[in-house]
Amino acid sequence: MKCTNCGLREATTEVLIRRNDHVEKKYLCGDCAKNYRPDTGNDSFDMLNKLINGSPMGLLSNLNSLFEAPSVRTLVCPTCKTTSEEFLKTGFVGCPRCYEVFEPLIVQTVKRLQQSDRHIGKRPHTAADTAAEEARLKAEIRSAVDNGDYAKLGELSDMLKRLVSNNKEDR
Amino acid sequence: MNTVNSIIVSTRLRLARNIDGLPFPHKLAEMPSRQVADTVEKSLSYIDKFERFDIGNISKSDGAVLQEKHLISPDLLEECPFGSVLISADENVSVMVNEEDHIREQVILSGLALDQAYDRVCRIDDALGKNIKFAFDNRFGYLTSCATNLGTGMRASVMMFLPALTLQNMMDGCITDVGRLNMTVRGVYGEGSKADGYLYQISNQRTLGVKEIDIIDSVKGAINHIVDAELRARQLLKRDESELKDGIYRAWGIANNAYKLSTAEAMQFLAMIRLGGYYGYIDIGDEKEFQDLVTSCQPANMQRLGGNEMSVDERDAFRARYIAAALDKFCKKNDLIKE
Repeated sequence: MKCTNCGLREATTEVLIRRNDHVEKKYLCGDCAKNYRPDTGNDSFDMLNKLINGSPMGLLSNLNSLFEAPSVRTLVCPTCKTTSEEFLKTGFVGCPRCYEVFEPLIVQTVKRLQQSDRHIGKRPHTAADTAAEEARLKAEIRSAVDNGDYAKLGELSDMLKRLVSNNKEDR
Repeated sequence: MNTVNSIIVSTRLRLARNIDGLPFPHKLAEMPSRQVADTVEKSLSYIDKFERFDIGNISKSDGAVLQEKHLISPDLLEECPFGSVLISADENVSVMVNEEDHIREQVILSGLALDQAYDRVCRIDDALGKNIKFAFDNRFGYLTSCATNLGTGMRASVMMFLPALTLQNMMDGCITDVGRLNMTVRGVYGEGSKADGYLYQISNQRTLGVKEIDIIDSVKGAINHIVDAELRARQLLKRDESELKDGIYRAWGIANNAYKLSTAEAMQFLAMIRLGGYYGYIDIGDEKEFQDLVTSCQPANMQRLGGNEMSVDERDAFRARYIAAALDKFCKKNDLIKE
């Protein structure tokens, strides 16, 4: 994901800005994050920044409090401690949780790499799938009995037996 | 000889999976890594017999043998001290553990067999999925340590023998064409040079936003395109038939009579003999047996077949004897007088 400020470098830092009734998020590269202050316009901010930094110590430092101070941070996965910088440098995330933590950064990368961000393929089987399959087979067995279709009945019974025994084995 | 069989060597299909709630292998310590391998081993034992090799416990040469047979990746051998692999008795299935992802299920079959490979890998996947909760997200699909494998986690690869396209410098155009179909082409043993036996791997790039069956269809489409291009190139190559025959017969002569053969020479001569099989100049017997010979000629496999520790010189001499014996056993130069 490109830096939302300069649009040139990859974003590595999430900046949270508290507004009156909501929190605004920006994603910045390292350089922009260092210099970023909210909503002053770069020129005016640079002048103010110089004024603060160039003033006698403490004299103007409380000017900072005039602003809604942004919370600037590098994203860190709480589970595996992978940082957003690490992810952007290596292309690797550290654990499944990283996909939630770095989602805004990952989505851009994924879309670029894969031309999509939606899975449409195979899904893991769940216990619910097995239960549904068991119910379906039982319904078909009832119907085969009703219709006197004994060839099909044998086949369905074998399938049900296999399904049940697989489940027992798994447990 | 079946023209497609003379081009398509083997099919490989792999699924990347990870265990929910666990850090990916590069963030995982030794003990939980071993537990992952134990869990995978136990889950696989319900469906078939698999032999387990832990990278930390096998010799470098045994590891190299597995790598040359494509049963493990170079990365598992070199970068994954806590890695393991489980290999089926027929060596058609290998399940790498703690490589880039916790689990890499892989099926390798001879010739073009994408559908069969997918069926088999699904059986492995379903069996593992009954005991292991895979890391899965409704939006991103199967979660992998690198976003390049997200979604299906599937890579379908076909190994192709493309001497005519390579010799006539037509591979670049071919790579561009299949690139448009979201496929990648790379040399099996390197960059597809003469020394690599003109063997290339063609595989899908996209793994997310596509169904497994669509990946298989798109790989088939790319393969058909390349097969057509290679066949046309083989016709062009035959325009100068005396030159072509001379190259093939020289390769046959040297491969049968040399005292020493390096790996690169063996790959080059065997590739020409294989091409001779296509044109009917040489009967190369069974394609799979021929490919096994190519694999056997790789350094670690040669060392293993030789039995003892050999110097490079001794190994090259052994390779020459081995190839001559194999060619004598199942290949035959067709009668020149008939021409």
